[in-house]
Amino acid sequence: MQEHSISANNFEQCQKCAICTTVCPVLANNELYPGPKQAGPDGERYRMKNPVFYQETLKYCMNCKRCEVACPSGVKIGDMIQSAKLEYGKRSHIIRDTTLASTDLVGPMASAFAPVANLALSMKPVKAVLDATIGVSKHRTMPKYSSQTFESWFKKNAAAKQDGFRNHISYYHGCYANFNYPQLGKDFVAVMNALGYGVHLLDKEECCGVAMISAGMKKQATKKAQHNVKVIGEAVAAGRKVVTVSTSCTLTIRDEYPHLLGVDNSAVRDNVVLVEKFLWQALSAENVKLVWKEDYKARAAYHVPCHQEVLGWSNFTIELLQMIPGMELTVLDSHCCGIGGTYGFKKENYETSQKIGQPLFDSIKAADPDFVACECETCKWQIEMSTGYAVKNPISILAEALDLEKTMEANR
Amino acid sequence: MRYDAVIIGAGIAGTTAAEALLAKGLRCALVAQGRSKSNPDLNALVARGLALYLGDEVLSGDIVEGRVVALHTQKLEDVALVADNYILASGKFFSRGIVADMDRVYEPIFGLDVEYDADRSNWFNADFAADQKFLSFGVKNYGQGKVAHEGVVLSNLFAAGEVLEGICSLDSAEKIAASAAEAVSNIK
Repeated sequence: MQEHSISANNFEQCQKCAICTTVCPVLANNELYPGPKQAGPDGERYRMKNPVFYQETLKYCMNCKRCEVACPSGVKIGDMIQSAKLEYGKRSHIIRDTTLASTDLVGPMASAFAPVANLALSMKPVKAVLDATIGVSKHRTMPKYSSQTFESWFKKNAAAKQDGFRNHISYYHGCYANFNYPQLGKDFVAVMNALGYGVHLLDKEECCGVAMISAGMKKQATKKAQHNVKVIGEAVAAGRKVVTVSTSCTLTIRDEYPHLLGVDNSAVRDNVVLVEKFLWQALSAENVKLVWKEDYKARAAYHVPCHQEVLGWSNFTIELLQMIPGMELTVLDSHCCGIGGTYGFKKENYETSQKIGQPLFDSIKAADPDFVACECETCKWQIEMSTGYAVKNPISILAEALDLEKTMEANR
Repeated sequence: MRYDAVIIGAGIAGTTAAEALLAKGLRCALVAQGRSKSNPDLNALVARGLALYLGDEVLSGDIVEGRVVALHTQKLEDVALVADNYILASGKFFSRGIVADMDRVYEPIFGLDVEYDADRSNWFNADFAADQKFLSFGVKNYGQGKVAHEGVVLSNLFAAGEVLEGICSLDSAEKIAASAAEAVSNIK
């Protein structure tokens, strides 16, 4: 929203209408949480006076930012709560939170021993130990790690031919595509190449830091932010857009860096764009052509991730998916899935997390699609674990529905 | 983004207009800064095909030869919203559909012609319970929600609800909804 205030986060625009309270998924399911109005602008008024008024129960905020999307006055309620947590919050469960948050530290180790790590993390006794010792919920299906990272696949199999294309973009793949699900990165490269775009990696991207921010690790997150702004800046200086596949990484890089970490990203912000918006714009400018498979048929239900609601770009995804002949698309009612990144992995949040997601799980089951379409990797874990329905990133759906060879010829 | 109609505002007027336009079979989008207490659940409209831009803000509208040709929003950045017709249901002072400065009252998106008293001392009455003149200020209504920009009545932008002169939050939901129905009646 536009800044209309002299205080940070549009603080004095709050009219006390309390609509944020009605949309908070946590408040509806966990009575320990004071809710966005109290945790945000109401509490801020006291914290400004004296930090002693900081409440530790702000830790129950999952940073979905549905309060900000609902606020008719542009108050950055979520930013206010996150800033207070970073400023005043005490860190409990240090080992667990650091482990969950340090995705690009844990990722390489887990990838190196992927078969062992995946097996261990799926075993009941191991999960019971993690639950009892560091507080990772034993009820949770842990993410799988891939033995080959996306980056190493890319360097071996794709990097050499990228200079041969007409146009060029840089790709911020994020930790999930790199360590957990390289197929997403491979699908991205396949689609972009078919459309005539050479794909280039940044000069060593680091984790966007979203999980560190929610774990209260401000110093570490700030270092990641400064590094990423620098390497993204180099790509932008070379005339390239930096295209992303994860809604949370995108929101973090574009908005959380300046709002929460005080890292100036103004030189690069507008050049960081989610692939669905990028493709929609390329198509609408008639820069690219798509050739679809003739026999593709699917019934998909699109779940808008909370951070996509904050970015405000879900209609690009909807229009892209609707372009696919043979696609029958349902847009699911707007509900949070309950995972909130690392939030739902924490023992104390497991029950709340599943309760929050229940209306979404029910609506998916009622729609009974072939699969769920969704841009967010942690929504994917949550929905797959809780409903049994497969979740596909829209770029992977495009990779399946496009005749990639004919598309490549059409864009030569 | 291209639509048959774009509606600005998600209050009673905006959602009433959206429902009516969807019922005509038009492809509609609705942009709103946030949810309105009068109609907080927008899922039913999305299920009927409404493209919802919630938590976004229309910053400006381009007017060429008496027609609105594009809207620019904060979050869509370099992508414009383009439609055959537009409904302005952005509310009054609370939602900044109408803005009052020290010396003037204006409509911030398009700069539409606004009806208000030039003498600021007449804007409000010290008797709190008496009629407050500022509540009647709003975009000048040329009939059925037709509005003007610099004296020229626009052919494809229609205002509904509190943004209009003579309608305010003290009016009944029925009156506000009726103004939305009038605005929509301009669109075939």
